[in-house]
Amino acid sequence: MPRPQEVNRSQVLIIGLVLLALMLPWLPFGASTNYILRVLTTAVLYMILALGLNIVPGFTGLLDLGYVGFYGIGAYTSGLLAIHYDLSLWVILPLAALNGALWGILLGAPTLRLTGDYFAIVTFGFSELVVLVLRNELWLTRGPMGLPGISPPSIFGHPLTRDWEFFYLIVFLLAVVFVVVRRMEDSRLGRAWFAIREDEIAAQCCGVNLIRYKVTAFAISASIGAMGGAFYAKWFKFIHPDMFKFWESILILCLIVFGGMGSIWGTMLGALILIPLTEILRAVLPQSLFSARYLIYGLILVLMMRWRPEGLIPFESAQAEKAKQTQKRLTGLVGKE
Amino acid sequence: MNPILHVKDLSKSFGGLVALQSVDLKAETAQIVGLIGPNGAGKTTLFNCLTGLTPPTQGQIEFRGNPIVPQFSEGRIRLLKASTLLFFILGWVWVPLFYSLFLPRTFFKVELVLLGIFILGMRCLMVRAFVEFKIWAWSLMFVFLLSDLITGLWAMSHWGTSIALVGAGFPFGYVALPWAIVAVPFSLFFMGLLLSRRVRLLYGFRVSPDALCRMGMGRTFQNIRLFFNLSVLDNVKIGFHGQLKSGFWQTLIRGRSQRQEEESAERAALEALRFVDLQHRTFDLASSLAYGEQRWLEIARALVARPHLLLLDEPAAGMNPQESARLMDLIFKIRKMGTTVLIIEHDMKVMMNLADNIFVLDYGEMIAQGSPDEIRDNPRVIEAYLGGGPSTC
Repeated sequence: MPRPQEVNRSQVLIIGLVLLALMLPWLPFGASTNYILRVLTTAVLYMILALGLNIVPGFTGLLDLGYVGFYGIGAYTSGLLAIHYDLSLWVILPLAALNGALWGILLGAPTLRLTGDYFAIVTFGFSELVVLVLRNELWLTRGPMGLPGISPPSIFGHPLTRDWEFFYLIVFLLAVVFVVVRRMEDSRLGRAWFAIREDEIAAQCCGVNLIRYKVTAFAISASIGAMGGAFYAKWFKFIHPDMFKFWESILILCLIVFGGMGSIWGTMLGALILIPLTEILRAVLPQSLFSARYLIYGLILVLMMRWRPEGLIPFESAQAEKAKQTQKRLTGLVGKE
Repeated sequence: MNPILHVKDLSKSFGGLVALQSVDLKAETAQIVGLIGPNGAGKTTLFNCLTGLTPPTQGQIEFRGNPIVPQFSEGRIRLLKASTLLFFILGWVWVPLFYSLFLPRTFFKVELVLLGIFILGMRCLMVRAFVEFKIWAWSLMFVFLLSDLITGLWAMSHWGTSIALVGAGFPFGYVALPWAIVAVPFSLFFMGLLLSRRVRLLYGFRVSPDALCRMGMGRTFQNIRLFFNLSVLDNVKIGFHGQLKSGFWQTLIRGRSQRQEEESAERAALEALRFVDLQHRTFDLASSLAYGEQRWLEIARALVARPHLLLLDEPAAGMNPQESARLMDLIFKIRKMGTTVLIIEHDMKVMMNLADNIFVLDYGEMIAQGSPDEIRDNPRVIEAYLGGGPSTC
């Protein structure tokens, strides 16, 4: 156990930020509180999605352009289950995650033998396929009419309606996903993924079964995306095939590239900065320049790629930090003995 | 005693280029075997064939008594694959069919069909948890046979043999039942067998590099292949991957066994690093190491899993004389642990001191074999090295 004086500055900073986030609904923002909460709920949702996507291109090193497909599958699973069976959120979330994982495995098992660009194209095709199915299978998804009337989630019989309640819910989900991803990163599973990312041939010769670990990564990433989608459907109460277009995949990919591919803190930071930024730009820019927000967005990405292509918190420095933590732990152990 | 590695009549050609031509090689337990030859002689290709990275065109490799190259002709393999696929499809088509025939009114309830598939999967996993692959395949067959028989008979006694879905009085049940009994168990039987190493060989699958590593083969690479963005400790821990078992759920729950595994990996990694005298760099990134240190790290990564056979591809390249002397000491120590070492090296001094037995490759052909002294005096070896062109060593 770390003694109190060993708690370093970054830990204090993180705890402070978490407390601030939890107190946020009660800070005096006046009339704009709800707006701020909604923007932040979106940001946290994208943090979850970014954490999920990060597993495939970040940890395993495979470019995945079809992440939004799983997000859509999750959202429609949740919406349909809510409408037809009126299930509770706590049943829907694991079911959506399972469904996401199922499709992840179905897509991944045959295609993960492909390398690089080919795999990216397959995933892109998959996400387009999902949108087409959602749009055309009227009997199941009502197609372009969307899926309205999804009941709000409830906790202990109390239905969630207010913005702060959703905010707390999504922060809780983020905490769960964060713990899951952290545990996997720091384990045999995560090491196998990193090995594949760094050098497939060397990984194979170290006993890592490539297909198996790639499929695992893909399934876990898909199930996290589907969980995000499930929350989104319950939160927005209306879903439509157009919400799951290719652009969303690129957006989430941008978040993790901006934040630092492969580092957990980086991807979260990326989402936390870029998503509210779009909202701020939407509010600041005049109506006539409304679409220019994507221009600014693109500009930021271009500058980022020019000056800091590895992202805000690069993979290497995250790994170096991890090694330092391990060193502290081990030298502490040695000291004790 | 059986040799730990036995290569018989191995050939490999890339298109028209013949890289290896009927190579024979034998390595006994706890021997240091050298492999030399001019540049482009096919030494690294041989290593790649041994570790399963490149499929050989012809020939057989036996590692610890297990064959690791497919043994059948291509046509036969294709036939086997096709028949397996047929059984497999029959088996899985059976699930909805079972519902439509035996439980006719429930066929269009998607939930029930999904439930059926789920139960099917669970049954496979349940049997899998108890026994190893070969027995698994057989037990799957019997479990399915019995439980399907019981379900089918029960359904028929309740709904009769006529089928509401089809409407006619034809007793489909009498057709479906034998089919179910034959197709599903057999498809699963084949699936189960497919997972065993020997049968995979029959089906034309090579033994994959990762399986070979878990069987006890470690290697290093000629051009260093480390996980450069990871710490030295993590690099070595990945080498220990095959020795650990925890999967997704264990990782998620972080139970006691998982934590113990992690600790054992850490201990083994630290020990391996101490063995190659790299412990002072344990917590640095691999990319920050000097070239020589990277070579040591690769050796540590291959050694941490305690392989039976260690393949070293030019380990002394880029090392100064003191370092290569240390390398020789290390290799002797490795042999003392009971590990066989197969080593490619250009540094003749190192090789002559180290090897118990040397094989010489030239243009893909094994031109000589013997103790270092025999090799030194062998006219064909001298010709290969000094003959037509300029010297390469």
